[in-house]
Amino acid sequence: MTELYTASGSKVHAHKADIFCRDETRVDWHSKALWALREKRDRAAGSLPEWEQLRLLGSQLKLHTLSHLAQYLEQFEQQCLSNGIKVHWASDAQQHNEIVHGILAKHKVKKLVKSKSMLTEECHMNPYLERHGIEVVDTDLGERIIQLANMPPSHIVVPAIHMKKEEVGELFHQQLGTKAGESDPLYLTRAARAHLREKFLTADAAMTGVNMAIADQGAIVVCTNEGNADMGANLPKLQLHSMGIDKVVPDMDSVGVLLRTLARNATGQPITTYSSFYRGPQEGGEMHVIIVDNGRTEMMKDKILAESLKCIRCGGCLNTCPVYRRSGGYSYNYTIPGPIGIAVGAKHDDTNSIPWACTLCGSCTYVCPTMVPLDKIIAHHRRLKAEAKRLPYGKGGYMPLVGRFMANETLMNTSMSAARLALRVLPGSLLKPFSGAWGKYRELPVAPESSFASWYNKNRSR
Amino acid sequence: MKIALFIPCLVNQMMPEVAIATLTLLEKLGHQVIFPKGQTCCGQPMTNSGCFDEAKNTTLKLLNAFKGVDCDAIVCPAASCLVAAKENFHEFDGSQEAQEVISKLYELTEFLHDIAPIKAFARPVAAKISMQMSCHGIRMLNLATPTEQMGKQRFNKVEAVLGNIAGLEIVYPARIDECCGFGGTFAVDEGAVSAKMGKDKAQAHAATGAKYVVGFDPSCLLHLDGMIRRQKLPIETRHIAQIINDAL
Ligand code: SF4
Repeated sequence: MTELYTASGSKVHAHKADIFCRDETRVDWHSKALWALREKRDRAAGSLPEWEQLRLLGSQLKLHTLSHLAQYLEQFEQQCLSNGIKVHWASDAQQHNEIVHGILAKHKVKKLVKSKSMLTEECHMNPYLERHGIEVVDTDLGERIIQLANMPPSHIVVPAIHMKKEEVGELFHQQLGTKAGESDPLYLTRAARAHLREKFLTADAAMTGVNMAIADQGAIVVCTNEGNADMGANLPKLQLHSMGIDKVVPDMDSVGVLLRTLARNATGQPITTYSSFYRGPQEGGEMHVIIVDNGRTEMMKDKILAESLKCIRCGGCLNTCPVYRRSGGYSYNYTIPGPIGIAVGAKHDDTNSIPWACTLCGSCTYVCPTMVPLDKIIAHHRRLKAEAKRLPYGKGGYMPLVGRFMANETLMNTSMSAARLALRVLPGSLLKPFSGAWGKYRELPVAPESSFASWYNKNRSR
Repeated sequence: MKIALFIPCLVNQMMPEVAIATLTLLEKLGHQVIFPKGQTCCGQPMTNSGCFDEAKNTTLKLLNAFKGVDCDAIVCPAASCLVAAKENFHEFDGSQEAQEVISKLYELTEFLHDIAPIKAFARPVAAKISMQMSCHGIRMLNLATPTEQMGKQRFNKVEAVLGNIAGLEIVYPARIDECCGFGGTFAVDEGAVSAKMGKDKAQAHAATGAKYVVGFDPSCLLHLDGMIRRQKLPIETRHIAQIINDAL
């Protein structure tokens, strides 16, 4: 394997995946846990006779909104303002973080409770605020676990899926003082709950992500299973919500369509336990919405890449992905892993390897509730990398040779018959070292005596 | 019908028995079969890596081999190569002549299901087979409804074609249509993950107790074969053409 590291020190996907794969029991466990989510999804989706129609509707309403984005975002802002919500616009991560910090600093916030937001991960907001002396507490159980472990999320819906309950038990023992060796999920959840309750009661402000922003209502929707977003937003007087520009939808009917597929596709639940609609500050409080671009407008310029903005972050494509399940969330060189992570993260990957962490099997595209054509987008990223002459794994060097070889019948025929002969007469032990990754994991093919073309010439030619 | 065979390079060089079975079975069904000269690679290894410039020459040569050939259909016993050929012909040549070639392209199962169904089989094949439902065949050529897709209207052309063979018992592995991990250069670029996928798939097939893994995509079968022999599993790979040919 060549080009393992880049100048910045990041490593290619294959290298990280190789390390993940060394512990096969763990890979099997990881793959099975995520496949169980896929199976639950199949049952939930299959229970709706109109499932495929909902996918089509979801896709169409997202495409419609994206192609009238300015109009819907302005309508959303207007409605928010008339509901007494303050609206901010951020063109990139830096601006987003500055705006958030500005609001918090003005209110002298020392402790912020936060619930589920991949956008704040994308903007690396937690470390930014911490540098400015603000304590940020993630309040979703999974998010809290990885925050205590000082790790990024390895999945967009179940961020601590890579950790076994024994490991969580050990972490809680060290950080929260639970009993040593205790890994009963109920016991650990109760401990986390008591710990978080104290954080909620003492927080100065709350922040959440946004699942949907409803243009004609000036309202936002937040979906959680633990009620932590509501606990946060309803306790302190100051609430903040960050959203990407792609989160806006026209109206309540659109929300109805997407809410029916979101949880079903994520975890197999008919709907998340809490689907909360916020449409104004509490009495005497303030509500802020920060609308973030951070590369999304740029992405819209490319017709194929633009479709990745239809994504509603259900995580379904990660659960079904045979590569993600066997390489883990930390192998992708981006905050978001799996197929959608490749789609939106490939341009940030300086190893240029993540578009190749895919067999183009297409399962994700069929799973996706808004029909994001993930396999097409990933193939397109490969083409963009090739055109930019930024190919990984030595491809830039050998692909032109392969192209010339394949197009040259005589050359191909002579060398392939030599290869067949070698495969037949030489012992495997001599050949395997030269066959690279193929022979490392698999037996070499049993070579036939002749090609079909020469058989045909002997047996059928007239 | 008059049929031109499209035999992808991998089949031609490494699995001639699949091409011979395809030719023989089509002849047994009463078709006139020809094998146009000058066939090269469909360009898939290059386009799959994003290298379209590098794929152009070989794709156009392959296309040329079929231009102006007098036939009713062009049949290929490899789903993935067929998909790539279709896409790449379209990418590099917008002419009417190219369009004519594209419109005649069929994968073998597709041809035997949609165009010229087999009326009756002559012989039983007493074997339990585990079907390899390869990705490109089902998700791009619609050979069967993928498991991700919901709804009552389900179909499986592979089973419809093989189902009438007496004595044949068709079973499926767990996670029926999960990818086997071949993925072209993926098998070497991402050796560890590819091998783990292949191992899981090979074991799932062996766990059915079937005698053969049967599929319509030779590249997946080649990958599984290497995996099965490395794992010493009691199962062998066969292409659908070989099973059908045995039954005729
Ligand atoms: S791309 Fe589709 S399947 Fe993947 S997370 Fe987004 S909405 Fe879900």
